Amino acid sequence: MDGFTLTIWIVRLLFLGLLYLFLFAVVRVLLRDLRSAARDRTELGRLIVVESPAGEPTVGAVFGLDAIATIGRDVNNTVVVDDPFASGQHASLTYRGRNWYVEDLGSTNGTFINGTPVESVAPLGYGDEVQVGEVRFRLERARA
Amino acid sequence: MSVTAARPARSSALPGILRLVRPRTRWRELALLGLVAVALVVGSISLGATADARPGLDAGRVPQAADLRLMDARGLGIYLAALLVAHLAFVLAGRRTDQVLLPAVGMLGGIGLLLMQRLPQDLVTQSFGSTDLGLGQLQLAWLVLAIGVATVVGIVVRSDSWLRLYKYTWAAAGIALLLLTFVLGTDVNGARLSLDIGPLSGQPSELLKVILVVFLAGYLSENRPLLVEENTRIGPIRLPPLPYLAPMLAMWAIALGIVIVQRDLGAALLFFAVFLSLLYIATARRSFVVLGIILFLVGAFVLYKLFGHVQQRVDVWLDPFDDAQGAGYQVVQALYAFARGGLLGTGLGAGLPLIAGNPPIPAVHTDFPLAALGEELGLIGLLAILGLYLVVVERGLRIAAAAADDFRAILAAGLSLVVGVQAFIIAAGNLKLIPLTGITLPFISYGGSSLLANALVVGLLLALSDRGVEPPPPPRARRRFARLRGAR
Repeated sequence: MDGFTLTIWIVRLLFLGLLYLFLFAVVRVLLRDLRSAARDRTELGRLIVVESPAGEPTVGAVFGLDAIATIGRDVNNTVVVDDPFASGQHASLTYRGRNWYVEDLGSTNGTFINGTPVESVAPLGYGDEVQVGEVRFRLERARA
Repeated sequence: MSVTAARPARSSALPGILRLVRPRTRWRELALLGLVAVALVVGSISLGATADARPGLDAGRVPQAADLRLMDARGLGIYLAALLVAHLAFVLAGRRTDQVLLPAVGMLGGIGLLLMQRLPQDLVTQSFGSTDLGLGQLQLAWLVLAIGVATVVGIVVRSDSWLRLYKYTWAAAGIALLLLTFVLGTDVNGARLSLDIGPLSGQPSELLKVILVVFLAGYLSENRPLLVEENTRIGPIRLPPLPYLAPMLAMWAIALGIVIVQRDLGAALLFFAVFLSLLYIATARRSFVVLGIILFLVGAFVLYKLFGHVQQRVDVWLDPFDDAQGAGYQVVQALYAFARGGLLGTGLGAGLPLIAGNPPIPAVHTDFPLAALGEELGLIGLLAILGLYLVVVERGLRIAAAAADDFRAILAAGLSLVVGVQAFIIAAGNLKLIPLTGITLPFISYGGSSLLANALVVGLLLALSDRGVEPPPPPRARRRFARLRGAR
């Protein structure tokens, strides 16, 4: 085999090799990203405070949600809402099957989804807003 | 109740320019782009050396020492510089966007550029004033423009409300575009695909696929709870409320219309496949997929019986060698090209012997770039290219999984699937896995509409991947749900 053909062969194979080197580097980045996401994943959803006139909880606060979370003024609730219009046990958020549901626990002033009052149980989608007293929360997906 | 959302205070406290300039390093992206540059330079050398040696080899002389040079050093330089500028723009903008998408797409675009420089330059020519541009230079111009579009969209788009709130407007614009093509479109190769308005010409179906995904994301995220309800039963199949199935049937009808009027099988297949995938992503109901596939099979069978061009495509697929010099010529030549390539390929620039001055596969630069690459890079190279498409799809689905709400999740999934499904349809068509349908291979095929539409997809994905963007706008009260909720 003469020098020219050999050189061309080497360059050709080098190009293919570099394609795979690039692919390998990318896949390594992707794997690292997926692993770190799998480690952190403990919450099922996030509740973000959009509006809170009384200041507790503060606007922008984030609550990671388990399968069951309760909202109300009582300190034993998962999400404590110190708002004069909220009841002690105001509402609960549950994750069943593939969906979130809001249940009003017989509160005085009611629970609202996007401004619509909840009668007993109502499904809740990501991006929807829940109002308890004068505090509004937005449900978001868990950070993956 | 007021609907204004509380925004982070700093967005209003600082003027826009000051917020823009807050650099954030992106070493990962830079390192990957460096690898892209090295690989493309080596590829260009391989192509250049082979192209230099060809005339001598054809004349029977074997050159002793290789004169290693790049195929088109200036062209490749401009392309790599454009990628670097895009990277710097992202660094300066300081957004925490995805760092893998740009290198992966840049690699695909670079391979496409090498291929277009390698193919006969007179396949496409266009003259501006006194300068004549060939295939490679035109592709380069489109690529640079596409990188610009992706960068600008990726940096500037911070809120998605203009997509989310006007979904029916977008759908109307898409349908108007489609009707415009039906009426004013020009026929190319028997299919009515391109639209000429004054000096501009383009393929609306490329833009239409982006609009379709935006509309579907808006529609599905808003009606997801209703679509999951099952209150209609037909025998063993449980269905959601019938009025909410109407868009599904409308989609099916639009796909059929595209096949009948435009004769564009590829776009119809792409739209329907993406629609079904998104429906499944939004609702996780297998019954929808089964129903959709049944509708697809019924539609495909009826079209096969009624229309000659569908019949011809299927017949060519079943046995291209039946009419190898006629209808099956393109497919047969592509199969020969794959066979010549084998495992390692012939090397860039060494494949595709010209037949009477023309490349053997008609439309090799738009519909069959994969056959040309399969010949010159072999099975190994082809698998790497398909792997790059997988990377793009993975990034899109990952961005979808991390999205804050349903609209963004479905939008990101849809945008990446539209690229992945399109690549699959044309790759499988080239390989005779499914009947051939004439659509472009994203990022690689020659063509302005295709490159710009896919750049728009990449730009939107980059914008969506930013964690620090404006929160989704508050949803509007949905009066339609009140009825369902009251029934519980």
